[in-house]
Amino acid sequence: MTKGFGALTAVRNLSFSLQEGEILGLIGPNGSGKTTLFNVIAGVFRPDSGEVLYRGQSIVHCSPHEICQMGIAKTSQTIQPFSNMRVFENVLVAALYGKNLTMGKAREETARILKFMGLEGLGGEPAGKIPLPLRRRLELSRALATGARVLLLDEVMAGLNPTEIQESLEILKKVRNQGKTLIMVEHVMRAVMGISEQVIVLNHGEKIAEGKPAEVAGNPEVIQAYLGKRYA
Amino acid sequence: MSRQWLKVHLVWLAFLAAGIILSSVPLFVPEGYRLRLLALVFMWVALSGCWNLMSGYTGYIDFGPVAYFGVGSYSTAILMLKGGVPFLPSIFLSGLICAVLSLAIGLPTLRLQGAYFAIATFAVAEALKQGILEGDRLIGLEFFGGAHGLTLPPPPSEAYFYYLMLFFMGLVVGLTALLEKSKFGYGLRAIREAEQAAELSGVPTLKIKIKAYVLSSSLIGCLGGVEAYWLTYIIPDDVFNVLRTIQMVIMTLLGGMGTVLGPVIGASFLTLVSEYLGAKFVYDYLIFVGAVIIVVILLLPRGIMGTLWQGQRWNR
Amino acid sequence: MLLFLQALINGLLLGGIYASCSAGFSLAFGVMGVVNLSHGDFVMLGAFLTYWLFVLFGLNPFLALLPTLGFLFFLGFFIQRLAINRLVGAPPIMSYLLTFGLHLVLSNLALRIWTADYRALKTSYTGLTLNLGGLVFPYSRLATFALAMIMILGLYVLLYRMETGRAIRAVAQDREMARLMGVNILRIYALTFALAAGITGLAGGLISHTYVIYPQMGLQFTITAFCVVVLGGMGYIPGTLWGGIILGVLESLTTTYLTAGLSMALTFFLLLMMLILRPRGIFGKGVVEEI
Repeated sequence: MTKGFGALTAVRNLSFSLQEGEILGLIGPNGSGKTTLFNVIAGVFRPDSGEVLYRGQSIVHCSPHEICQMGIAKTSQTIQPFSNMRVFENVLVAALYGKNLTMGKAREETARILKFMGLEGLGGEPAGKIPLPLRRRLELSRALATGARVLLLDEVMAGLNPTEIQESLEILKKVRNQGKTLIMVEHVMRAVMGISEQVIVLNHGEKIAEGKPAEVAGNPEVIQAYLGKRYA
Repeated sequence: MSRQWLKVHLVWLAFLAAGIILSSVPLFVPEGYRLRLLALVFMWVALSGCWNLMSGYTGYIDFGPVAYFGVGSYSTAILMLKGGVPFLPSIFLSGLICAVLSLAIGLPTLRLQGAYFAIATFAVAEALKQGILEGDRLIGLEFFGGAHGLTLPPPPSEAYFYYLMLFFMGLVVGLTALLEKSKFGYGLRAIREAEQAAELSGVPTLKIKIKAYVLSSSLIGCLGGVEAYWLTYIIPDDVFNVLRTIQMVIMTLLGGMGTVLGPVIGASFLTLVSEYLGAKFVYDYLIFVGAVIIVVILLLPRGIMGTLWQGQRWNR
Repeated sequence: MLLFLQALINGLLLGGIYASCSAGFSLAFGVMGVVNLSHGDFVMLGAFLTYWLFVLFGLNPFLALLPTLGFLFFLGFFIQRLAINRLVGAPPIMSYLLTFGLHLVLSNLALRIWTADYRALKTSYTGLTLNLGGLVFPYSRLATFALAMIMILGLYVLLYRMETGRAIRAVAQDREMARLMGVNILRIYALTFALAAGITGLAGGLISHTYVIYPQMGLQFTITAFCVVVLGGMGYIPGTLWGGIILGVLESLTTTYLTAGLSMALTFFLLLMMLILRPRGIFGKGVVEEI
């Protein structure tokens, strides 16, 4: 599909398909259109042309909350927690609305997810006050609590130190093993290349490479996109 | 866990106790100024509580609630005068009329963001006032009474209105308390905190905003109807007066937006202040109100209740 | 036909005044994201200041515009430092509420001090009109229109051709980038708000020449400013001119052919439609708040 903003075409003629249970890495230099792509899939933007099909059904005319309830959840690059609400409540909202549970069941589910993510001690803290790596885990917890089958992870590793990155990767592997499908936008190469089964590379809104991580890493066009002509 | 349980029960017990005490007041206090003042306080608690339900919890500042107060007043008056409908059913119908009206207004305006919503609602309120003022002239009928307003038949006793206002206050405060911990309440607060994140977490933001707006507006309409009968006359300048909106805003702000007791505290305090100051110097009261707003925003942005709750933690 | 032309040109003159009254509002929002609900009160203060300078000190109302500009400039600076500054990172609702409180204080303080009496500036040339083939134009209105245009032009030159103005626009477009390029954000904010207040006060002074002044007049100008700016695009100064003219003509026509009260209602209706259908203004260059 194609999506532009005024004179700028953020994503141009991009096509790809995703299998259930797959981990897809989405990389590319800044401004290559990755976040815009996520926003289109999640329903925040409508594409200028093209389609988004989820399990065979078109979702381009659905609003973000409908798409979430259908099973696609997105984290935000700029994390937006419900700052003045407790961590527990943050996840609770997702369980209540994304997964459509009753209050009792939603509370149980929230407790389960917080435990899974290692956040159970923090339930009572205001979400705005916890440190960055934990806020990222909160973002992920919210996405999980919606019951989504497909998770769009937008730079969840940004700002983390190597230990934290490793912990995150462990969690993501556990998540995938529960049957979820992941698309990861990342700049932290080691992370995304290590965990993805397929990788797509974007540059200036267009797909310039697609394949297994090892193939893509050696692709001269990809190297050129990141480092410039001299290194290709 | 058990401490939480007790806390919840304690709240409802306190609520019940307050209800009983307040209900028995007219037995001890003779009719007259003091009873009237109490009823007035109850009305303002209810009004600001309604405003709080919408704006306090969703963060969408509504600058036009007085529109529904006015519509409710006029609907009740016209239903009683021209339709011969008895008082209580008129109130109920006025509430319904406001519900429909607020749905019509809310659908387009709640898609707009913050500042635009605020001004749009203000504009609607002013336009409605103008409409009612000119209404008769345009339609060519003797319906709205123009600038002279309408006069209603003599009402029952002061105590009647005391209980009616007490009922509404209890209704609004109770509703707020119930909703706050419900799924709906969490949706509202999520919208206030981070609307886009809420939408992405599955919260149908537009639907929820509209529900809150319609609920709040219908109750405000009912209260408008009650006041109409209470005062026995209504004029556009009074029932559509932007000062009412200001009061609702400042009372909730001072007490704490998005809290159950905020409107109670804010409205009680400010109604008493305005009775004292306003009787003599209306402008002084407004200057005071304006100064309070400024001070609250700069120093106590969460209001009294909000600031008190802020330090709390609990573990789950 | 003559009536129509008269109404049209009156509307044009009115529109110019509206535009000058609204530019400051647009500036404050475009650069700082602050919706100043006390905006109209700066108009009121400017009008009163010019009035009192004339009545008490005999200062020529046109010359009085300069100290009015200066005083309101410093008042704006002062308010910005004390209060608005603290709202920069906060959610927008804080700025509506704060400026609303400010509006209450300013308008009612004025009411207390100056009473609700209507006042009008009367000079030797107040009643004089220009007669062109049946169309009547008071000289004072023509003069103030001209001055309003000069002011807007001056603002345009400042913003688009001068260093400081460029810095202001840079901050409006991308605050972080501007900061990285060495622009002192807080200074720009203070300057912008002071400038906004100053030109609004100046516009108020212009108004005092041709319109009746009273302490409560502020609110209608805040609403007007909002309408003009929504029409022209929030934060887009050239749009303000057109927004003002459109609004002025519309009001003038409805007042002439219908009633004054309805022109207000029509204005609101137009505003509502714009907000729903085209929140970025007719030129599509307005800034729309993020959710």
